[in-house]
Amino acid sequence: MSDPLLRVERVSKSYGDEQVLREISFEMDRGDVTVLIGPSGSGKSTMLRCVNRLTEVDSGEIYLDGERVTGPDVDVNELRRQVGMVFQDFNLFAHLTARGNVMLGPRQVLGLSKEEARRRADEQLALVGLADQADSYPAELSGGQKQRVGIARALAMEPKLMLFDEPTSALDPELIGEVLEVMRDLVERGMTMLVVTHEMSFARSVASEIMFLDGGRIVERGPPEQLFERPEHDRTATFLRRITQLHS
Amino acid sequence: MSEPVADAVREGETATRTIPAGRPLVVLAGGLFWGWLLLRWLNDWLGGLFVPRGEPFVSPEAVEALGAAVPALRGLFDSTAFAVTYLPALSAGVWLTIVLTATSIALGFVLAVPLSVARVYGRWTSYLSLAYTELLRGTPLLAQLFVIYYGLNFVQYVPPLLDGVFANNAVWAAIVGFTLNSAAYQAEYIRSALLSVESGQLTAGRAIGLTKLQAIRYVVLPQGLRFAIPGWTNELIYLIKYSSLAAFITVPELFQRTNAIASDNFRYTAMFSLAALLYLALVISASRLMNAVEDRVAIPGLGARGR
Repeated sequence: MSDPLLRVERVSKSYGDEQVLREISFEMDRGDVTVLIGPSGSGKSTMLRCVNRLTEVDSGEIYLDGERVTGPDVDVNELRRQVGMVFQDFNLFAHLTARGNVMLGPRQVLGLSKEEARRRADEQLALVGLADQADSYPAELSGGQKQRVGIARALAMEPKLMLFDEPTSALDPELIGEVLEVMRDLVERGMTMLVVTHEMSFARSVASEIMFLDGGRIVERGPPEQLFERPEHDRTATFLRRITQLHS
Repeated sequence: MSEPVADAVREGETATRTIPAGRPLVVLAGGLFWGWLLLRWLNDWLGGLFVPRGEPFVSPEAVEALGAAVPALRGLFDSTAFAVTYLPALSAGVWLTIVLTATSIALGFVLAVPLSVARVYGRWTSYLSLAYTELLRGTPLLAQLFVIYYGLNFVQYVPPLLDGVFANNAVWAAIVGFTLNSAAYQAEYIRSALLSVESGQLTAGRAIGLTKLQAIRYVVLPQGLRFAIPGWTNELIYLIKYSSLAAFITVPELFQRTNAIASDNFRYTAMFSLAALLYLALVISASRLMNAVEDRVAIPGLGARGR
């Protein structure tokens, strides 16, 4: 019986007087795709950032592959090379080409040679369909292309877990599809993914579990069919109705 | 990037660039100035390659004679003859001015980068950097030079390896003073440029597992230093002129030589006008050079030149 890949135990976090996470607990097995949904300010992004410790938890524990990642003696850089993150605003390194963006981690963090890092970057860019844009700078790419470079950059570290923080929220509607397609590919390749998104049809089709967060708590969780068709809580039902109306 | 001050500076830059300046004229004048300067140094260092050391390439008497032939332009020819007489002596001063400026700005930059990084990203080191910057910017440069040269008698600390590189070891004292002072100013320019790099850049660097120092080194600095170029150019231009303070600790740079000659021939206005022209040529060259550097390192979408 192996450990779950990710175990979150009673994690709480406040910013000043505002409690954004209240005793959140959940687990993910390898290959799971867990989608966090909920109104803005419900703590979804904070939860994601606690996993790779861009944000520190106030209390509670997080384990990755059986290893505790919370706690002062943990090497956060070692943790982060195992956990890829994709940002809402892409955050591509503005001074580097697409290839340079993907190469930097393998080169400086994993210590690959320039040739190896370059080969790996080109492979990853090909996988997200951007082999022909390797020499373009971020400013020369469309939003959808930027986000695909962002995904390639995270994947080049060969992470055990991928975090997606509203990866399509900053995109024009016609560019969302290409990013979701790359993410679907990733699901099929068996990547474990923790995703914050408002793309309900995507969530419905790929999630192994959906968690509805509100006010820093998991209000409801379950497989997509259950949440979408038989939500137990009024709040879940109201949120889902509103968000599907907005996006249809 | 959206910092209003920085944007204003960049817009100003773009505006000056679109003015159709007499570009060929500037290039011609620059070519003449630097061509003359290089030939001059070469001649004097190699012990009189074309004309005896320190002698003008063209005889001032010949220029004056031309003026006698065209009475209407007599004043112009007289001034030219005056310039021709004294330019050789000043060219050696120009050399020291350039050496002082280039060495100090470069060494100052080496200090300024860690100072600015410490200021922006450090904890206790940020206070150390702040203290250094305030101390060096808050006291007169001339006083700093006096403390180094007269107070500490810096000349006695010049290592044997560097002893004799310049005829006067006071040059080393001046370089140390300018370096320490310029580092403080450069650190301020770089600090504000670092602050204009989006915070998401550092976050993204940390998220792929770079240490904070690596993220600063590979992500923030390459962008911040590009943003810093216009401000840094300003410091370079200041330093060209501030280097004249070295005259007060006996360094025979451009100002000191001008002053020495003027107190001999009492033609203060003429001598300092001549020196002013030379400083102006250096300053224009420096700002042209930095414009070219800025264009050279421009990246699409990053800063003014990238747009």
